[in-house]
Amino acid sequence: MMKTTPLFSALGFSKIFLSVVILIIVLSGLAIPSLIKSTFYLGLFINAITLGIAALSIGFLAHQCGLIIFGAAGFTGGATYLFGIAVMYFNWDVTSAAVFCLASSTLISLLMGMVMVRARPLPFAMMTLALAQMLHSVVKLTAYREVTGADDGLTLNWSGNFFGMTQAELARPANFWTVAWLALCGVMLLAWWVGQSRAGEILRATKANEERMRFSGFNTYVPRVLAFGLAGFIAAVSGLLVGLHSAFASPELLDFTTGANSLVSMLIGGATVVTGPILGALLYTMGQDQFGASGHLELLTGVGVVIVVVAFPKGAIGFVQSGIKRLTGRHHASN
Amino acid sequence: MDLLQSFSVIQLANALALSSLLTILASGLALIFGLRDVMNFAHGALYMLGAYLGFAVAARFNFWVALAVVPFLLAGLGVVFEYAVLRPLQKRAHMDVALITFGIALILGHVVNTTWGTSPLSVAMPPALSGAVDLFGQPYPAYRLFLILVGFGTCALLAAWLKWTKSGMHVRAVSQLPMVARMMGVNTDRLSLFVVCLGTGFSGLAGVLAGPYLSVDPSMGANILISCLIVVVVGGLGSIGGAIAASVVYGFIQVIGSIVSPLMSVMTPYLLLFFVLLWRPQGFGKGRVA
Repeated sequence: MMKTTPLFSALGFSKIFLSVVILIIVLSGLAIPSLIKSTFYLGLFINAITLGIAALSIGFLAHQCGLIIFGAAGFTGGATYLFGIAVMYFNWDVTSAAVFCLASSTLISLLMGMVMVRARPLPFAMMTLALAQMLHSVVKLTAYREVTGADDGLTLNWSGNFFGMTQAELARPANFWTVAWLALCGVMLLAWWVGQSRAGEILRATKANEERMRFSGFNTYVPRVLAFGLAGFIAAVSGLLVGLHSAFASPELLDFTTGANSLVSMLIGGATVVTGPILGALLYTMGQDQFGASGHLELLTGVGVVIVVVAFPKGAIGFVQSGIKRLTGRHHASN
Repeated sequence: MDLLQSFSVIQLANALALSSLLTILASGLALIFGLRDVMNFAHGALYMLGAYLGFAVAARFNFWVALAVVPFLLAGLGVVFEYAVLRPLQKRAHMDVALITFGIALILGHVVNTTWGTSPLSVAMPPALSGAVDLFGQPYPAYRLFLILVGFGTCALLAAWLKWTKSGMHVRAVSQLPMVARMMGVNTDRLSLFVVCLGTGFSGLAGVLAGPYLSVDPSMGANILISCLIVVVVGGLGSIGGAIAASVVYGFIQVIGSIVSPLMSVMTPYLLLFFVLLWRPQGFGKGRVA
């Protein structure tokens, strides 16, 4: 989307027209449950959305700052646990728990970002991986069974309505679709808006050459901390959706492989535009459906990651983009 | 009194058994990092593959054959790894190569899952080592003692090679200043081929040794990989001596901490990693290799 904006303006579309198009897409997306009657496929798409938002969080930071989160599970699963602890241990109602989950996740991400964004990409990746693994080990400790449920995880029961829906209604894919779809549109627009703003330009210029930016009088530290906080917020949205829909927080959510799924989705989809990670997550979820049972999924994703990193650094969305460019016959300077 | 009891000889030996596995793996990881500048996320998967190959060979012949053969099989895989992955991608960013090794880890995981299934397997101890030996008045499993001896023996040999031989000196030179070493006539490609084979061979050795000690299951790779990364980073990236020291400390924290305070034993290694990565990126070790 970040790149289609100049395309739109070059074709003579105004900002108002773009907003109308986006609004139409958002609203028509709400009608999807009436088109897809199958609960199975609707559930599959909801999985793709939660995975896609997690992948978007990684992709946002990867594209804007060049930092790759290896342990995304720590941020998504951690948020699910925060939500679970708020409803089960503090006995809060669902809306306050959801607000608490998002606010505290973002705050923790900002605090962590203050120390972590100073690291170079490889140490950064290892730190996020270690963080996820640490949370995974901590929630499994039997000493805190009352709070985290240890190995069994937390089965969640809450009071109150979330956007007018009770817990039983949220568990139904047809109802939950509205929440998931709006959340997806919201975080995509947010990530796109930040990416094309001045802050996004500063971030990408810092990624290209930090010393030059510092020398030119830019503060290179604060924008990166904020970007990390935003990535943490987006990941928390994904974790919250999982908690709301499945009403269950298990240690598996913090597993190395859970983070790997969203990382793979981001790599395969491509991170240069906000639609990339979502496309990757859709492809990954469909692959999981097709090949998960036969056990060939790991092979395909492994081969996919190798091929994409070696040959197509822009991922699947790069293909789509170059296709669009060829069709319209326009070439833009890439950002 | 409680605390004193937990520091018994048996606990110390258990800590050393865990550390010895980690030292073998971490020194391989550190070697590859030192020479090729590659953080090999497939190291855990190679270790897992080694354990499964060890299981297969031990089932057909016996444990000793597995111990002798599997490291060479893995070293053979190291040749492929060097020629097909590391050499063509030398010029790529660190992160790209790390991601590719991560993809390779997924592929190896699939190979293991489809060949041997996902349920945990157990490898029988060799009969000669299945008994217990007397360790300062207390019985102790002989196999663990053997594990400690092999683990630290291998690392001592490795350290001696690095310190006192000409090729070992070349390895140290290349990992410190690759350009200068090349100008002085060191064949870095040949050297890195050897070192990568050594590293993957070591992961095979650790895998076979782990078989009778831990259970052989598909998650063993990812679990130990993170411990290994912690050990290598805390010990100082690329430093063998640091890696050995760090894995001993890590083993002690894990085994003794789990008795004193579970939360401490879980958190300490990660906090150490954070501390080192943020404030002391060179680690607690001195140089880059040895």
